[in-house]
Amino acid sequence: MTSIKDLDNANVIQWCPGCGDFPILTAIKQAISELGLNPKDVVVVSGIGCSGKTPHYINTYGVESIHGRPVAAATGVHLANPNLTVIAVGGDGDGYGIGLNHFVQAVRRNVNITYVVMNNHIYALTKGQTSPTSLKGTKTKSTPHGAIEHPVNPMALALAADGTFVARGFSGNLKHLAGLIKKGITHNGFALVDVLQPCVSWNHEQTYEFLTENTYELEKSKYKPDNRDKAFEKAREWGLKKIPIGLFYEEKQPSYADQLPWAKPPVALDPIDDIDIKPLLEKYY
Amino acid sequence: MGINKIALKAGGPAGAGVFTIGAMIARTLQKMGLQVFYTADYPSLIKGGHNACYLRAEQEEVHSQLQIIDVLVAVDAQSIEKHYKELTENGAVIYDSDVRGIDKVDTSERKDIVMIPVPMTKTARELGDKIYRNVVAVGAVAALIQLDRKKLEMTLEKHFSGKKKDSNIIEANKSAVKKGHDYVKENFKDLDFKVKMEDKYKEESILLTGNDACSIGAIKAGCKFVSEYPMTPSSSILHFMASNEEKYKIVVKHAESEIAVINMLCGSAMTGARSMTATSGGGFALMSEGFGMAGLSETPFVVIQSQRTGPSTGIPTYTEQSDLRFMIHASQGEFPRLLCAPGDVDECFYETFKMFNLTDRVQTPGIILIDKHISASAKTTKPFDTSKLKIERGKLMTMEQMEKAKEKVLRYKITEDGISPRPVPGQPNGRYVSTSYEHWEDSFTTEDSQMRIAQVDKRDRKMLNIKEEEIAPVMIGPDNADLTIVSWGSNKGMIQQAMKFLKNEGINVNFMHVLWILPFPVKKVTEVLSKAKKVLIVEQNKYGQLRGLIRELTGILIENTLFKYDGRPIDPEEICHKVKEVM
Repeated sequence: MTSIKDLDNANVIQWCPGCGDFPILTAIKQAISELGLNPKDVVVVSGIGCSGKTPHYINTYGVESIHGRPVAAATGVHLANPNLTVIAVGGDGDGYGIGLNHFVQAVRRNVNITYVVMNNHIYALTKGQTSPTSLKGTKTKSTPHGAIEHPVNPMALALAADGTFVARGFSGNLKHLAGLIKKGITHNGFALVDVLQPCVSWNHEQTYEFLTENTYELEKSKYKPDNRDKAFEKAREWGLKKIPIGLFYEEKQPSYADQLPWAKPPVALDPIDDIDIKPLLEKYY
Repeated sequence: MGINKIALKAGGPAGAGVFTIGAMIARTLQKMGLQVFYTADYPSLIKGGHNACYLRAEQEEVHSQLQIIDVLVAVDAQSIEKHYKELTENGAVIYDSDVRGIDKVDTSERKDIVMIPVPMTKTARELGDKIYRNVVAVGAVAALIQLDRKKLEMTLEKHFSGKKKDSNIIEANKSAVKKGHDYVKENFKDLDFKVKMEDKYKEESILLTGNDACSIGAIKAGCKFVSEYPMTPSSSILHFMASNEEKYKIVVKHAESEIAVINMLCGSAMTGARSMTATSGGGFALMSEGFGMAGLSETPFVVIQSQRTGPSTGIPTYTEQSDLRFMIHASQGEFPRLLCAPGDVDECFYETFKMFNLTDRVQTPGIILIDKHISASAKTTKPFDTSKLKIERGKLMTMEQMEKAKEKVLRYKITEDGISPRPVPGQPNGRYVSTSYEHWEDSFTTEDSQMRIAQVDKRDRKMLNIKEEEIAPVMIGPDNADLTIVSWGSNKGMIQQAMKFLKNEGINVNFMHVLWILPFPVKKVTEVLSKAKKVLIVEQNKYGQLRGLIRELTGILIENTLFKYDGRPIDPEEICHKVKEVM
């Protein structure tokens, strides 16, 4: 058994008091603990931004990579050693802006990692600029006249890229969120868990109160996550009292690593002391 | 050139199979016991344009191309126009007489050359497909220079086996060779061509390109994870590794970009899997941020960078050595890295193997810096001797060591030798974050002034674990020479070739091939340059990048320079000319 305590460490958390990142960190720990994963077999991979600090606050192995690249780094960890549980974490700027390419590629690749996106609709660590998920018209330091672009819709993007696990949580609904992350880890393939969260310092629109009031759990409605077209409809839903959270879509498909039979057992553990290259040289004689 | 000595060029549009002509003749000559070098010259397109394949074979070691040829094989008119002047006296042109207008090429300046028209297209069509045209040409060459027919057939069988299931393909190609051969024999009975090849087979050799040699070195070193994005001239490394992924249990990922590639390596290498990528300058430009992460997080992996003519797209299928400074400095901040520039296929194999060991030893990324000329040129050499190759993984921790650990192992522990223990996920007592952020010994991020200094100094100290003997420059030629040539990378072959000519003319030259550039063998280079009577540096770039580095690190300015930057490899003749000018 792994208790939440086993996952704590002594590092002082550097997020703002009241930040939505705290419950997300707790939800990840709960999911690992409830699944009984051994912390030595878990790797949490982040990019840069407030979310980038996450691996330092959880006592597993980790990679704090560079801005926008956690999904690429996580893919490397996972394919080299699929025995490990790999959880990538990032922010909306990290994953849907600078790192968008890796996100879409990882979805279509169905690489078996869980990707938790701390989506607060703002660039926070750089102190309040527009993000790819900021709504049109959002006034920020970099868009004083209001954001001109339409926001990225991560749910719709993942669905369009043939995503096999597409979910959205809310940092204010811890139990529900931990459940989604747990399910995402168990899912064999790429699991997107986009998490709506407030940024208490820079986002005065999508606040804790706003999100609490306007999100509803799909699991409590008649919705079933087994139809991609219906999931698209849900992905387009956004408005007062109309922000769905929960599992939008799930489908069983072989993961990327399932299709590399030679890479399990893990190539990282393969002995390399005595590799015979004679067969490679044959064609050169 | 006489018996057992030949230089040949085959030219034609892309898609006409001129490289196959070169490869088959080269392999046949190799089987006849000759030493062979061959190289390819091609623009960036799929069909059309002008491709040329150049080969030389002799009984002695052949290091490079020359500016002259004895035989020109032309499957289009422009190949004759472009290259007939390169022919030696009484050289021959074998050409496809079915190509419209090919007879009208004006070669009147060279009345000595022998024109050998062969109806290649017509003959190929009679065999059922124009595609055999190049093989008809091979048959014609075989007749002209007396290639061993049996060995040519062996080459054909090997070349076409496995490619297509249809054994008729092999038979059709054999017929094509025979027809080309018989046509020349019948129609040019009285021709006594000056070049004749004889079977001198004594011992086995292998004939392979620099890219293949690097790939095999990596596989021998236990490379288990390859992520790559295709880029000329490195792509054949991706293809090689992918074609062997199942047999050698390697994860080979053609990723979405070079940015993804380098970050995947930061992930895979962190698990303990020996990891590698190959790219060219433009691809490495995209990798440079992730390369820095490997420097700070102390993650060892190997990057093969095959340079081409830059900057930007430049001349993408041609060669250059203009990325040395870029590779030394790429990425923000300061951190140690390794850089080796192999000069021939042997060094490509042995040094790539060694690079994996050294990157593991000092836990930092390493660069194998080659160029298009070495990537795409093939040379015969002795089968690689693996008896002395030993895998060394430095302070990579084993499961047993970690299970025995009494306390938590600190990944970034400040140690005397600068190298810290390297646990991997799955091991107990080692949990840490492989981080791009400056950190404490346990990997938690910090801005602390003293720890920052301690970690920078620790990373710097790691390089002292590589002894200068391990990265010594290669000295070729007599100790006491009237002139010392200094160079790096693929120039090695051309310089060795030039030295043969110079020796025959009684000019006493030696050569320092700077094989390892990071760490830099300061002592040895200083010693050689201080003793040298005259020094000439040869580089394929405009500004003399190694020259500048030598001045920076030794204080010695090499005054005589031969810099070439037209995308073509330096020819031995050019080196000879320059040496005589300097002497």
